[in-house]
Amino acid sequence: MTNQPSTGLTIGRRTALALVLLSATSGAALAQQASYKFGLAMPLTGGQALYGNDQVKAAQWAVDEINKAGGINGKKLEMIVLDTQADPQVGIQAVNRLISVDKAPVFITAWSGVVKAVAPIANDNKVVELSVGANAPDIAKLGDYVYTTFPLADVDIRAVSNYSATTLGKKKAAVLFINNETGIGSAEVYRDTFKKAGGEVVAYEAYDQKATDFTGPLLKIRAANPDIVHLQGLVSESPQVIAQARQLGITVPITSYSGIYNPKLIEQLGAAAEGVIATSLAPGVDDLPAVKDYVARWVKEAGRPPNGLPYTQYLYDSPYLVAAVFASLDKKGTPVTGENFRKEMLAIKSFDLPLTGKVTFSDDHTVNKPVYLVEVKGGKWTGKAVVNK
Amino acid sequence: MDYIYTILILIGLFVILASSFDLVIGHCGLISIAHPIFYALGAYVSAMLAKEGGVPIPLAMLAGGAAAFLASVLVALPSLRVSGDYLLIASIGFQLGLIEFAKHIHSIGGAGGLTNIPSFLVNSYGRLSYVILVLAVAVLTVLFVRWLTSGPYGRMMAAMRDDELAFSMLGRNAIWVKVSVFAIGSGIAGVAGGLYAHYFRFLEPDQFGLLQSSAILTMVVVGGMRTTWGPVIGAVVLQILPQAITFLGLPPSILGPLQGLMFSGLVLVFMFARPQGLLAAPDIWAGRSTRERADG
Amino acid sequence: MLNATVISQILWTSLATSSYFVLFAVAFALVLKVNKVFNFAQAGMMTCAFYSAYVAVRVLEFSGPVGFVAAIAGGAAMAFILERFGFSVLRHRRASPMFVFIFTLIASQFITYAMTMIFGTWPTTIFASMFWPVSIIANVAVSAWDLPALGATILVLVVLWAFLRFTRYGQFMIAVADNADLAELYGIRKDRVLMVSMLVAGIICGIGMFLYGTRAQVQPAAATELMLFAVAATILGGIGNLWGAALAAVVLGLVQNSSILFIPSAWQGFLLYAFLFFAIVLFPSGFHLPERSKRLKRTVVAPVVVSDAKEG
Repeated sequence: MTNQPSTGLTIGRRTALALVLLSATSGAALAQQASYKFGLAMPLTGGQALYGNDQVKAAQWAVDEINKAGGINGKKLEMIVLDTQADPQVGIQAVNRLISVDKAPVFITAWSGVVKAVAPIANDNKVVELSVGANAPDIAKLGDYVYTTFPLADVDIRAVSNYSATTLGKKKAAVLFINNETGIGSAEVYRDTFKKAGGEVVAYEAYDQKATDFTGPLLKIRAANPDIVHLQGLVSESPQVIAQARQLGITVPITSYSGIYNPKLIEQLGAAAEGVIATSLAPGVDDLPAVKDYVARWVKEAGRPPNGLPYTQYLYDSPYLVAAVFASLDKKGTPVTGENFRKEMLAIKSFDLPLTGKVTFSDDHTVNKPVYLVEVKGGKWTGKAVVNK
Repeated sequence: MDYIYTILILIGLFVILASSFDLVIGHCGLISIAHPIFYALGAYVSAMLAKEGGVPIPLAMLAGGAAAFLASVLVALPSLRVSGDYLLIASIGFQLGLIEFAKHIHSIGGAGGLTNIPSFLVNSYGRLSYVILVLAVAVLTVLFVRWLTSGPYGRMMAAMRDDELAFSMLGRNAIWVKVSVFAIGSGIAGVAGGLYAHYFRFLEPDQFGLLQSSAILTMVVVGGMRTTWGPVIGAVVLQILPQAITFLGLPPSILGPLQGLMFSGLVLVFMFARPQGLLAAPDIWAGRSTRERADG
Repeated sequence: MLNATVISQILWTSLATSSYFVLFAVAFALVLKVNKVFNFAQAGMMTCAFYSAYVAVRVLEFSGPVGFVAAIAGGAAMAFILERFGFSVLRHRRASPMFVFIFTLIASQFITYAMTMIFGTWPTTIFASMFWPVSIIANVAVSAWDLPALGATILVLVVLWAFLRFTRYGQFMIAVADNADLAELYGIRKDRVLMVSMLVAGIICGIGMFLYGTRAQVQPAAATELMLFAVAATILGGIGNLWGAALAAVVLGLVQNSSILFIPSAWQGFLLYAFLFFAIVLFPSGFHLPERSKRLKRTVVAPVVVSDAKEG
């Protein structure tokens, strides 16, 4: 059979190139825009898409709300969404496209690997990169054009570690973490903070990313007899770890970060989930009425609460932040470039956002936010405490 | 423009990878999918030498290629002594094991990746210069492979592929041929790794895993094994097609998996509808003695 | 930390969790032995099995046993599709082993993308709860999942052994594994036998995934990682040796879990690869791929009419 599929492919290629060339040559940034564009580069496929897709949805809701309320002084706010697969390489291509083809002066992205990989592009092209959700500490040092609206790693881990040592009065902690970059880094932060607060870290064990059985590290932890266990894992295996810990007779409270903060955990673990404490960097349904309405809307429209609720709250708020800067530029008539966006953003400095409260940009590119601690009590996630760093 | 430059550079890099891989699996008939690990080795060695050792980047890149060359000999020699099929298993084990190992080494960035790799050419001469560099190396690679395989060396490989027993009976050392071809192919991949590292300036162990093996394999198979232009066409098509799909304006929620689905579906269709690839090599089927010479 | 309680706990849990690995390894080894194919698309079979059970139990709200049957059906169905539309076609075209191998890789990816599109990437389990009550027996925590899992695995192995030894198709499979062309000359329908072999592998995968999915979370890409273990066990057990693969799976799991007593936990994952690599390098002559194996394990005399097959 000698069919010639190459013809079909050639046309596809030519059309693609034509499209690209057309948009590349179609005019530079105008002083007064017909619409205001920003980019959103998130994992739409791959292992992290379960979070990425929900975050994109939240952002889309915000964009729709903003446009319904009149947009940017009457002009439309446009969000261009591209897939990164949480992969640095794919992220680079997505951001390149947002900058060269779509001419966005600002883009939002997440996942530490991607954030780091695209930082040189943002800096070289003078386009603002807003990291929303990634928490690697070195994000603060990625360059002039890279900012985060989400607190970086140390903040929530430090908070829960301090809280455990001081308020809960725990003297001996065990740390169990997944053997990847976030796991290792955050475990270190927990350990150092706990020690500084006067406690002792009696066990410090890692498990492999591919592990399905955690008996070994858990037995070591059990033998060390801790008062409290801190787990730094991923949503894919953390429930199993907790289940096995309970099965092996580890009854002390287990803390973790926001990764396990979702209602499914209770469904999966039943009574074993009691006493699990998670951190959250966004107000919960009991803290802010707007959040309650937001979650109710999710349940109504999607049939379930969002994956990674706090992260979606931040993503919902991001278009509001971007819109506020655009509105200011529009009122002043300043040309919309990345450089001007950055200047304006830093000039405004503090933003009051609907679902996450106030965010203030500081000179060291970090943000400081209160940490909410939630605990599983009586089969439900309940607010336990709010710790202001 | 950066967007197009990056695409061109990726195409160039994958042309280099696909051509060198074709040398290994197409011409030499070795079943190995560990090509990306030599790509990775070249990238990491070049990056570390330039970043920490202060070695001039062109030298670092060549050193990367040399490191890949040596490593491949270390893998191939013991495995080929057993059997050709063994190389597949040993190479997969080597690839995945080295990736896992690399994630534990913090001096090269560990699992989080190696950042701030020194840049080359771009700051002094602009991105276009790098594009030209990569495309030039790609052209050289294609020509080199063509030269290698159309001369006496190529005839030797064809003979060995057709009937290894007879080949050894004639006094030729099959293992030596296989190891040297494997090494050459891997060395070229190592150089490509260096080119990658100093443009994208960020490396992560996981990006060199089975997904990339699969991608390079697809390029060679879809393009057409054992032809000069087959791997080139495969590389071009398989880089452009996913990008082109993103222009179709599909909703984000299905864009991702749909893209992957269309992509792998396309390859499956190809494998059954036109198994010899876009360009057919004259003798792709073992067991069929005659085949019409299909032109590209 | 090396006391009897710890050691016995680790031994017990490793044994229990090796149950699904044994099944995956045996399925992979079977297809390799009889069909002579490195079936990396087994990951696709496993994923299909899991989601069939998931749909049955969580979406359609049937009971557990129905989910079990659904898992088996899902695995077998995917096996059928792979064999009928994939391997069989390639075989008739006399495709090279390389080509078939590439097919399994791409097919596996295709199935993963399809599942991702339908089910998303949120990790799920077959039952809503993954917590199994625990009883303490001689200081060892035995979960309610462990015994049924072990029981199921042993049962599967026994049934498989009996199938291969006593039934016609089982014996045909052995014959085809030894020498497919010769078997055909004797009148054995090779295509049918290869299909049966794939179906059996599919069923075994289905059972394995049901076990796994009732204990841990699964998302579409998960099966590929589980496969790695199965492949390693198959190689270490000796290619062509089903029971060797099963044993290797148990031993590998044991070694990996007990390694924590001796090496830092961070290096556990790497152990598997190191093990594999050194085993290959140090004991190369122990492994022959079926084409090159010179051992005739059993003789099939007049297969169609009377079965005289001797068990090897």
